[in-house]
Amino acid sequence: MLDLLAYDFMQRSLLAAAMVGGLCSVIGVFVVLRGLAFVGAGTSHAAFAGVALGYLIGWPPLLLAILFGLATVWITGWVEERGRMKLDVSIGILYTTTMALGILFIGLMKTYNAEVYGYLFGSVLSVTPEELRIIGTLSVLVLGLLLLFAKELYFIAFDQEMAEASGIPARQMFFLLLTLVALTVVVSLKTVGAILVFAMILIPASTAYQLTHSLTTLTLYSAAIGITTSVFGVLVSAIWDIPSGPAIVLLATAIFFIAVLLSPKRVRRTGVAHSHEASS
Amino acid sequence: MSPERVRESVPTDRSPIIRFDHASFGFPGLIALNDITLSIYDGEFIGVIGPNGSGKTTLCRAVLGLLPPVEGHLHIFDCACSELRCHHRAQIGYLPQKGVVDRNFPVTVLETVMMGRYGALGLLKRPGKKDRHIAMEALAQVSMEPHKDTALGHLSGGQQQRVFIARALAQQPKVLILDEPTTGLDITMQHNVIELVQHLHDELKLTVLLITHDINMIRSRVDRLVLLKTKLYAAGPPNEVLKPEILHQVYGKELVITEKDLVIVEDYHHHH
Repeated sequence: MLDLLAYDFMQRSLLAAAMVGGLCSVIGVFVVLRGLAFVGAGTSHAAFAGVALGYLIGWPPLLLAILFGLATVWITGWVEERGRMKLDVSIGILYTTTMALGILFIGLMKTYNAEVYGYLFGSVLSVTPEELRIIGTLSVLVLGLLLLFAKELYFIAFDQEMAEASGIPARQMFFLLLTLVALTVVVSLKTVGAILVFAMILIPASTAYQLTHSLTTLTLYSAAIGITTSVFGVLVSAIWDIPSGPAIVLLATAIFFIAVLLSPKRVRRTGVAHSHEASS
Repeated sequence: MSPERVRESVPTDRSPIIRFDHASFGFPGLIALNDITLSIYDGEFIGVIGPNGSGKTTLCRAVLGLLPPVEGHLHIFDCACSELRCHHRAQIGYLPQKGVVDRNFPVTVLETVMMGRYGALGLLKRPGKKDRHIAMEALAQVSMEPHKDTALGHLSGGQQQRVFIARALAQQPKVLILDEPTTGLDITMQHNVIELVQHLHDELKLTVLLITHDINMIRSRVDRLVLLKTKLYAAGPPNEVLKPEILHQVYGKELVITEKDLVIVEDYHHHH
């Protein structure tokens, strides 16, 4: 195993996995709390359609992925704000439409393109130095903005109207969150793939949710779980020669179920509730 | 607190902090509140009453600046509603109706109350020692200090209401708006919460807008009652508003007035 670490490609993959794992799991906290889980799924498929179009017309795939991702989240946010349509319906439509576009773009390609499939299923072991730089830059950008607006984002995740009523520019913050979700998805495409990135956003935060009642602790736990499972997933993937995306996600899922079983919430909920009722 | 608390009539020497001027709210074709003209003065304790769907919550959202009038004008702190900025909003503390906020959200009591500081602090500023101190004071005001590290979801309904009131107080507001704060609480807890609101009004000289369907609970405490049913039926001291002829007009058969002059609204259902 130590031999593996000596390889350049291995060091790059581990670094990419750690960054993506950390990023996805931190934004995942806000996604899970604000109830945007399905938006994450929709965005990843839209971003994939962007990648496919990029390869088809010879444009930078990541650029088009960002454009497709942003268009999806902004339309979703706008629709929710207008109250015209339920969020799950609008996302459901965008989700399937962009997936259809992605398949259409692949179908239009004259030759089989293995790289496109890399974006669909994730191939962290083939991350190039340039891709690593893009991942690094976008990770710093997204994490920086999350940190900068953490208090506002927590508040709108808790209750958007209450946040707005108490003087938070809640609408702007909601669109910022949607934008950061889209950027995170694009950053993660290459590592875990369009299909599994959603799991990377959802699972660490949901696992942490089982373990704590404090927002700060929740975020820290989520990041720790995300980074650990990503790094170990890559190692497992390299050692046993299995695809990296599924390795990461299945590892995270295993930890999720362990957390559900061990969750102190389930044990404490009944006991503490009674003692508080009695004392109040 | 004596029920026969001396009530001031509408003060004329002060300028209103909230002023509705023929204001209507809702959507064109679906007006929730029509042609409201009402001034609310600094330090008043106002009870907002009316049947279900009468526009009580709409009035509340309007005062919060979340709902600009479709007709007429609404001025809050001398600002037109549409020009209301975040720092104005931070001066209005708000307790939303129960069920609006997810009470199992993974958040501790202190974290919840600290959120009250976020709007007042403004963007890019981190809450510091001073904010923590203000949050702890707010918790002390509602006697919830010992529970500061408890998960919000672990508290009883009455305790959660106290925490949400503390969150509003942490904004150090001038106005406190409470949307049916006693809903879903047992009778003792209901009295506790109303007592607390009264205490905060007296102690902190807050302007209070209390929305409720329980007229009996507040009639002896408020300075003025505002009676709504898609329009403003009456606004004034309780004994002027709670007259059989006015109440029957608004509540119809749902209303029973007993010999003791108690007003009971029958057949009350929650339609949330």
